[in-house]
Amino acid sequence: MAPDVTAPPTTPTQPPSRGWLRWRASGVTSATSQGLALSFYSLVVLIPLAALFSSAFTHGWGVFWRDATAKEAIDAYRLTIECSLVGAALNAVAGLGTAWVLVRDQFPGKAIINALIDLPFALPTVVAGVTFYTLYGPLSPVHLTLTGTWVGITLAIVFVTLPFTVRSVQPVLETMTFSAEAAASTLGASSVRVFFTITLPTLAPAIITGAGLAFARAMGEYGSVVFISNNLPYHTEVASSYIYSLASSQNPVGAAATAVAMLVFALIALTAVSITSRRLVRGR
Amino acid sequence: MTKSPLWLRFAVIVYVLGLIGVPLGFVFQRMFAHGWSALVSAFSDPAMRSAMWLTVRVVVVAVPVNTVVGVGVALWIVRHPSWRSRLIDRVIDVPLAISPIIIGLMLELAYATNGWFGRAEAALGLHIIFSYPGIVLASVFVSLPLVSRQLIPLLREIGDHQEQTAASLGAGPVRIFLTITMRSILWATAYGVSLTTARVLGEYGAVLIVSGNITGLTQTLTLNIGSNFENYDAFQGFVGAGVLATTSVLILLVLGVARHRERKRHEHLA
Amino acid sequence: MSISLEHLSKSFGADQVLTDINDIVPDGSLTALLGPSGSGKSTLLRMIAGLETVDEGRIVLHGRDVTTLPARQRNIGFCFQDYAPFYQLSVFDNVAYGLKVRRKSSAEIRREVEELLALVRLEDFANRYPRQLSGGQRQRMALARALAIKPEVLLLDEPFAALDAQVGGELRQWVRSLQHELGITTLLVTHNQAEAMEVADRVVILNRGRIEQAGAPAEVYDAPANDFVRSFLGPTTPFEGEQVRPHDLALVSDGPGRPGQVRDVIRLGFEVRVVVGFVDETSSWIQLTHDEAQRLNPTVGENVTVARRH
Repeated sequence: MAPDVTAPPTTPTQPPSRGWLRWRASGVTSATSQGLALSFYSLVVLIPLAALFSSAFTHGWGVFWRDATAKEAIDAYRLTIECSLVGAALNAVAGLGTAWVLVRDQFPGKAIINALIDLPFALPTVVAGVTFYTLYGPLSPVHLTLTGTWVGITLAIVFVTLPFTVRSVQPVLETMTFSAEAAASTLGASSVRVFFTITLPTLAPAIITGAGLAFARAMGEYGSVVFISNNLPYHTEVASSYIYSLASSQNPVGAAATAVAMLVFALIALTAVSITSRRLVRGR
Repeated sequence: MTKSPLWLRFAVIVYVLGLIGVPLGFVFQRMFAHGWSALVSAFSDPAMRSAMWLTVRVVVVAVPVNTVVGVGVALWIVRHPSWRSRLIDRVIDVPLAISPIIIGLMLELAYATNGWFGRAEAALGLHIIFSYPGIVLASVFVSLPLVSRQLIPLLREIGDHQEQTAASLGAGPVRIFLTITMRSILWATAYGVSLTTARVLGEYGAVLIVSGNITGLTQTLTLNIGSNFENYDAFQGFVGAGVLATTSVLILLVLGVARHRERKRHEHLA
Repeated sequence: MSISLEHLSKSFGADQVLTDINDIVPDGSLTALLGPSGSGKSTLLRMIAGLETVDEGRIVLHGRDVTTLPARQRNIGFCFQDYAPFYQLSVFDNVAYGLKVRRKSSAEIRREVEELLALVRLEDFANRYPRQLSGGQRQRMALARALAIKPEVLLLDEPFAALDAQVGGELRQWVRSLQHELGITTLLVTHNQAEAMEVADRVVILNRGRIEQAGAPAEVYDAPANDFVRSFLGPTTPFEGEQVRPHDLALVSDGPGRPGQVRDVIRLGFEVRVVVGFVDETSSWIQLTHDEAQRLNPTVGENVTVARRH
């Protein structure tokens, strides 16, 4: 039941019958509670989203475009996307390996390793951020200076996103029977071949989903990244820092425009992930 | 199942310990680096104390609100499908996919005094942004899906035959919920609540924007840590970080217990 | 007093699931709602229970019009196919649930639950949990739980479908005798015609949302109202342009009949099936008892004469 990064496939059952609850509360109370739920979500999520879009376009498309494609913005997007891609890809591999070991092996201390995986979920990003800055920055006890480098940023991203890739693959591995692999072995395939031709395609949708979630999270990451990156505009400024600097320098429209651009990127990424993983599932 | 090769096991252990274990240990090392008395006096720093108190006040409101809403919405979506609940189902995961900075910006644009509802708020005497309610609002936003996401697949899997049977035996909806539904979703809810608490405790970017980061007034513990670091008071920062690292480890333990209990409940069904 | 179903109809969206259902279930009887999947029998049962709304028509339980009453006010006992045990409660608490809802005193609850557990022979399992019970035991617990509230009507949705043949068979007989002993009007949904015939006093056959025929098992079997009922309730084989029962055909040594040739002999132990082909390219199969087959000893290729037994 890992932190539910991937909603497990729900088997469609008979639609829940309404009869037994339909008369429990009069239509009025049922409608009011539904209305309450909708209002709550509107106030908290939908209205602010609308306000963001509206603000981004306050001065029309031209200004929006100019803000969203400013040189500093483009540099920020590029840095963010690159580091997020590398981090997600690295963790896709590491996550698979980690899940593999956790599911198939027994060794002393396994429970600790399993629990540690969730730490980046539970730990505040700023704690990770200042720790990484101190550990791998100018005061580093191991004499590493990764501040102001994309390596440092990617390292922070890797820390924060490992749980996503591990926990998306782990449940799938746990329920796999490996009977297809056994069949392939009897047909003479080596374990390497079996892995790449049988196991990996089965796990591909989960791996992709995990990597996609990791990527989306990495793109928006702030607290863990802002310290080690040093925030040099045009060089080591991630998108979220850039948006923050715009917002705090009385340029809400510019901030909103850049934010909308980031949301579009995130949407594209998530859609691509969901299409790819669905296609991979269907092809089996 | 055959075990995985030794080199892989070794690599994974080194990776996880190095990537995650080392920084965790480092926080505690720094926290205690100057000895016990330095640590105690760090705790008497007024900025940090008010930050801790504010954080507690936020958690105490945001987590129960999200739990109630999360459970209610999950039940609603699974047991009463309608176009409204389907809409909410699509929208539920949105907070997890958006950068916290953008979340803070969105909330500010909607609810600051020069924002959409600014005038309405002023008329009602409400101050949301740059004040306690705004911090609670931001915390609720970022953790909104966490309970629902645990419960929705679970409720679907469990089905409602038990509840229908209880209804046929004469139980009303409240009794059904308390005696039947709640027991099956207990550990999954505990898991979601733990994740929510961790998220609320640890939120940085969104609260940074929405609170104004006014030391002693609207500065949560996470903001306090960041601010101390920026002012080159690394030790004070690490003390705060150590507090939150400790709560994180405690939450990890609770997560582990909840996961274990939930798995046991699940296994015993067959 | 009984269950009266009057002009009941139900649709799920564009799907018309039940059309103009009319029936009266006699008081104290065990009636089977029999039909293939998709015939609407489960939906009908749930409508009677109050777990599904009614689009048109009326349901009258023991003189009360319950059409718009919610399930918890109908005083019915309902058993799901998966038994729906309350997993988090002990067997005792499961059975006691309805009694607690009715705020009986703990002494009274204890007495009644113990009586019921003895009735279903689960008295040693009172403190166990459903997960520790076998399928058949969970079924008995579900029955005890439903009976605890002294319902006027007992509704069972495919109660034996999830059990293996032996356990299911035993349980069937036990439920039948229990029902006779208690005399509660019972409605049982099943797709298994042998089960319905074995257990029920009365069978209502449903197909695609309509009642095809209703009556005692012997009645519907011997005098089926149409081809559907005939073929659903038992095996049929074509003979002289009609569908007849294979056991109504015989191999005769003399007398009138159709000449044919034995194509295949299938020995099932208790019965033997003989497939006979005729000159006009049609074939029928004949059901012989074990003894008959021993006596006649049909062999493939043999020339035989086939006639109806009566």
